[in-house]
Amino acid sequence: MDQDRRAQWLRGVLDLCVLGLLARGDSYGYELAQSLQSAGLGAIQGGTLYPVLLRLQRSGLVTVYWREGGGGPARKYYQVSPAGRAVLSEASGQWAAFAGGVGAILQERTAR
Amino acid sequence: MRYEIWLAALTDELRRHGVGPDLAGHVVAEAAGHLRDSGEPPLRAFGPPAAYAAAVADSVGGPVGPARAAVGPVRLRAIDIVKRYGRRTVLSGVSLAVHAGQVAAIVGANGSGKSTFLRICAGLTGADGGRVELHGTVGYCPQAGGTADFLRADEHFALIGAGRGVPRGAAARDGARQAAALDWAPGDEQARQLSGGTRQKLNLVLAGLGDPDILLLDEPYQGFDRGTYLDFWHEVWRWRDAGRAVVVVTHLLNQLDRVDVVLDLSAGDTGVAA
Amino acid sequence: MTRTLTVAEMTLRETARRRGVLLMLLVLPLAFYLARRGDHLGQSIRFVCLGLSWALSTAALFVGSAARSLEPRLRLSGYRTHDLFLGRLAALWALGLGLSAPYFLLIRFDQHDVRYGAIAVIMLIGVLVAPLFGLAVSALLPRDLEGMLVLLTVVGLQMILDPAGNAARLLPFWYSREIGTYAIDHTSAGYLDRGLLHGAVTAGLLLAVVAVAFGVRLRRRPHVRIV
Repeated sequence: MDQDRRAQWLRGVLDLCVLGLLARGDSYGYELAQSLQSAGLGAIQGGTLYPVLLRLQRSGLVTVYWREGGGGPARKYYQVSPAGRAVLSEASGQWAAFAGGVGAILQERTAR
Repeated sequence: MRYEIWLAALTDELRRHGVGPDLAGHVVAEAAGHLRDSGEPPLRAFGPPAAYAAAVADSVGGPVGPARAAVGPVRLRAIDIVKRYGRRTVLSGVSLAVHAGQVAAIVGANGSGKSTFLRICAGLTGADGGRVELHGTVGYCPQAGGTADFLRADEHFALIGAGRGVPRGAAARDGARQAAALDWAPGDEQARQLSGGTRQKLNLVLAGLGDPDILLLDEPYQGFDRGTYLDFWHEVWRWRDAGRAVVVVTHLLNQLDRVDVVLDLSAGDTGVAA
Repeated sequence: MTRTLTVAEMTLRETARRRGVLLMLLVLPLAFYLARRGDHLGQSIRFVCLGLSWALSTAALFVGSAARSLEPRLRLSGYRTHDLFLGRLAALWALGLGLSAPYFLLIRFDQHDVRYGAIAVIMLIGVLVAPLFGLAVSALLPRDLEGMLVLLTVVGLQMILDPAGNAARLLPFWYSREIGTYAIDHTSAGYLDRGLLHGAVTAGLLLAVVAVAFGVRLRRRPHVRIV
């Protein structure tokens, strides 16, 4: 995939994807990166992911807590907040409409 | 870069970008955990420490300054300064008042007379009208020059210190301390052997030597790399918190929201904005 | 006092690191001496004294120019104007003594049948006057090059002009030739007296020029009031 375009797309949706993953359960940075990758978004670097998490935290869409790791130091866990859930459900609807429109245009072109 | 070096650099850069110590600690711990779990090299996972620290600072919404202490007595008062060069009037009735514990920025286009005004305030250039009152000792840092080619840094400290009545040992310690704040450890080199940016650091340290009450700085950051430029502003805010009056001539606007007084000379205007 | 001594010390340190200046100081008088050694008696003495004066003046010129960029900052740091020029002069005078001593010894053992005491007097006046001259030139002329031209002209004229004529007395190093005649040609004491007078007057005048030039350049501006 063209890296520039991918980066642009990610800029638009990464925070929503993170919210979406957190809605299924609390998680920490590295685990989130792995989930995003296996969901098909490609490799997400720490330098990209953590600032997004910080912004979500600052706008109150997620809350954080530290949990002692089993055999290592404490990890910072993220939990979606009620405000985050609200944003997520609203954005999901909007995204479905948006992606649907884009898909339709692109289908038409390739079909021709 | 190995983990520890990268993490140490990240700690420094976070401090420079004004990220509070608690948050910085969390950010570093989280990054360390991520690096451990993923096994990736830091530069690939996060990029250079300065870039990541800048991204973090952006996300957090910039540093929150401590509550401003009450300002002290006036230290510098310039009233209706007029300066002419032949037929050209460079300054027509410019006024400025700076109190202890305040930072003033003088901005304006090239040739608008910023340096001239500062030199007039320092008493190094004559004025054709108006007057200046200085309440306290003055330290001045020119844009360039102000150092002796063939003297070492510690000799400079001794020389300036003697003028202020500071004994040699104390002057050397003061100089070394202020140099460290700019991330510089003075050695045995003569001033002419220093790089341009480092020589300018010497220039700035000499301005602050002996803790003068008023600091007049004329774009002293020529040749500074980005990190040192941030360190310079930290020094300015430290001086402010210590109760000095600092005047900085600058044309870089992004630090203006952290200064108390702005004097804009570009439109040839005469007033002062707080 | 501390301030003056600190300025003097730093001037000496600076000059010791300027290899070009040191080389010139050591070699130029020697070159003058050797160039005239084959001539009739005493020419080499006259020339070495002139060479010493020229070298010291040039060193003073460079010291003065190099110090300019630092002087406003030193004034703001609390130095008074006279600390600055007296400190530099003290360093140059010390340098001059150190430079002249070996040359005096050279003359003492290489030249015969001359009045050594008088030659010592010439050198001492030279140590006094030459730095004053060089510093005065640097204080009046902002750039090295113009200062050097003035020095060259003066030294050149000094060599060309007939010392008996009136024009020659206006030159700063005329005393050197006058006392030199006394020392080498064993003339009457009148030459010595005239030379001493000229040396004293020149030194006084040049010191006044230095004091005034520095004072004007580094003066407290009237529009500033320090509370």
